[in-house]
Amino acid sequence: MPGTPYPKEQMHRIVYTKLSEQQIADKLSAVSGPTSASPLADVFAGKSIRIVTDKGPALAYTFREANRLSVAENGAGAVEAGYGALTQGNVAFVSHMIPNTQRGYAVVIDQGTNLATVFELWFSGYEDKREVQREIYYGYVEQPGQEAPKNRHVATNRVEGKGFYWKQDNGAETLEFYPSAAYSHFVELSRLGGELGFCGPSDYIKIDENRYIYTRTECEFSGTFTAYVMDLNRIEQVGVRLGFNANDALEYYVFRGKGEWLGQLAQFEKFGDESGNPVPAAAPGQTPAKGARRVYRPFKTMAKMTPAQVDAVCAKHTSAFAPRAIAPGPNAPAASMAGNLGPNTDWLAGKTFTLRYDHAPAMEYRFDDAEALNWRKEGGNWTKAPYRAYVSSPGVILFGHLLEGEPNHDGHSIVADFDQGLVTCFNGFLNTPYFANEAGVKIHFGVIEMEGLIPPKYRRHVLTDEMVGRAVSQNYAPGLTSMHLYSTPHSLSWIIFTGTDAGGLEWSGPASYVKIRNGLYFMYWLEEACNGTLGTILVNLHTMRDVGIGYNCGENGLNMSAMGAHERRAGQFDVRRFYQVKSDGGAV
Amino acid sequence: MTKDTNSTQSSRRLFLKRGALLAAPLAAAVPAAVIADDGLKARLARLEDEAAIRKVHHAWLRRVNSMKTVNVGVGDAATPLLANFEGTALDQTVRSIAADHAGEPDAIEVAADGTRAVGRFQCAVEIENAIAQDCTLAQMAHAQGGGFVRQTERRVLKVEYRKIGGAWAIARAEFAPV
Repeated sequence: MPGTPYPKEQMHRIVYTKLSEQQIADKLSAVSGPTSASPLADVFAGKSIRIVTDKGPALAYTFREANRLSVAENGAGAVEAGYGALTQGNVAFVSHMIPNTQRGYAVVIDQGTNLATVFELWFSGYEDKREVQREIYYGYVEQPGQEAPKNRHVATNRVEGKGFYWKQDNGAETLEFYPSAAYSHFVELSRLGGELGFCGPSDYIKIDENRYIYTRTECEFSGTFTAYVMDLNRIEQVGVRLGFNANDALEYYVFRGKGEWLGQLAQFEKFGDESGNPVPAAAPGQTPAKGARRVYRPFKTMAKMTPAQVDAVCAKHTSAFAPRAIAPGPNAPAASMAGNLGPNTDWLAGKTFTLRYDHAPAMEYRFDDAEALNWRKEGGNWTKAPYRAYVSSPGVILFGHLLEGEPNHDGHSIVADFDQGLVTCFNGFLNTPYFANEAGVKIHFGVIEMEGLIPPKYRRHVLTDEMVGRAVSQNYAPGLTSMHLYSTPHSLSWIIFTGTDAGGLEWSGPASYVKIRNGLYFMYWLEEACNGTLGTILVNLHTMRDVGIGYNCGENGLNMSAMGAHERRAGQFDVRRFYQVKSDGGAV
Repeated sequence: MTKDTNSTQSSRRLFLKRGALLAAPLAAAVPAAVIADDGLKARLARLEDEAAIRKVHHAWLRRVNSMKTVNVGVGDAATPLLANFEGTALDQTVRSIAADHAGEPDAIEVAADGTRAVGRFQCAVEIENAIAQDCTLAQMAHAQGGGFVRQTERRVLKVEYRKIGGAWAIARAEFAPV
């Protein structure tokens, strides 16, 4: 029986065990040091070194052999521990835990400069105790009789925009993208089958122009910590992975990997700005606590509603294209994203047509004016609804409306191509399996039946992977700029720019892309385990504008709203080859 | 408002105008030298008041511009001159205030009783508006410490002063369109 690479649940759907401090201690006590698929380096065997950090510990090491050391922290008594070390040129990566504690270290030592970066790692430092915490200390290896070096490894944005395929020595394959200077996005090809990409807060530290240190903590998921040194020329990595997997088993290993360069996205900071850590760990004027960082925790903060609650809230407040003032609150219509929307069109006013979908009921329409339409499922009763329509390209109109009375509170976001007689509908709906207020989506392909318009018999808009790998920035309004990274055929990631136009917080969700014409793509994303929103946009890569329709249900009600952005192409990663999807797709 | 083009002239004119009115009933009974002496004293007092008010104003500007966010409703014991605010008269999205050197000169008018004054200062005001957290992007922008839009606008800062215990203090401050 052949197997598939897909997990029973994707990462954002796994209910990770809330491990107790004692459970974590028990699991750690069974492990002496990291494992490794590659031979460990004995570069330090028989040596003693002392690492001095600027605002952190002094670590006195004696490496007895290739996997045993003793370490004394800040002059305290030495303790024995298992360790693993791997080297990359003159850079050594060392990791160990402190026995009988939930703490450990990952240490990067450049034996050429004697500079060192120390990551102190610990469990049980956050309410989700399995989430690995980290604090970074910069320092050096003390050289007897020599002054301390003045330079240090330094946080940087020099990795921002890069992307790599990595294959570790244990067979794990990933695509890893660094479109932010504070977060990263990764696709687990071998562990999860590469359907979706996920995000985690990250550190980027410059060793020199060729080598950088990267970290990622899988916050909101397993809490696993990954760190590695990467050589951008050789495209090699050495690093560590520490955390508890979905089965609550400890994964603690050092690894060596090789990769492929996938491309480079644009950076939007001012020239000369190579600073790192663009997202401050604490509010202005406040001193961050040890290990503090800004972490986007959408699952923790999202409204989680039952079908009954959804029905009740929709009955109480449902709005489409309402001014924000009508429904203020966290789930109000997204007026912020309408700053660059532009005017809606009245082209549909007075028109009548049927959208005949291949695998969904036909929808008949009568348009009263530029803002009101009447719809019915073929042969049913007419229902009046507010709508908005926007012309993206001559003959191509995006319009959307809610379907009042539907049991799952459906909303349609529709691209009608009157030049081709084709239509694609993203049919949003609620009462989805995980949280009832989380939007789901069905894609309907079909044709337009309208007087004087003969639609094709076989041709349809098609799912495509032509957008996969691209990154496009969107400026929705002054101060509200993001970037989409279309990282897989089934998911995208969004990055929020900081005030200095560095990539900041980042998250991702399932997505799909439909080709309307060359350079014109209709796509959706689902903010699953996030805000539950269905976002749909029609991206015009010629005018570099998008118009879109959002569909969201929260504690404040059901809302449909319009959005629009000015876009910039930010580059493209060469990743389609990893997904084995044909670019011309096919009707679903 | 463009009635004053020079603060010194303005103050002098006002002073002379008020001085003339005050002086008229006294002129018949008091020797001219005494009147002149009193006038000089009054003028000196007024100039001293204006200088003191400017000092208060500059201290206030330094204070405002050193704050992360202007919140003038909060008294500051370390800056006693600022402790007499009457509520939150200023727009709390103001992030910085700078003199608008391309605008009208500063104008300070001291009342005849010498206990009240009004200042008008044309300023370049940096305004910060928070983006409504009505969508995921805006929520994330706020979560990373952003989510604000800044712009600079020309405005007139109108400040009312009171002399309390011999020292000038700000009683009320507000912005008006230029």
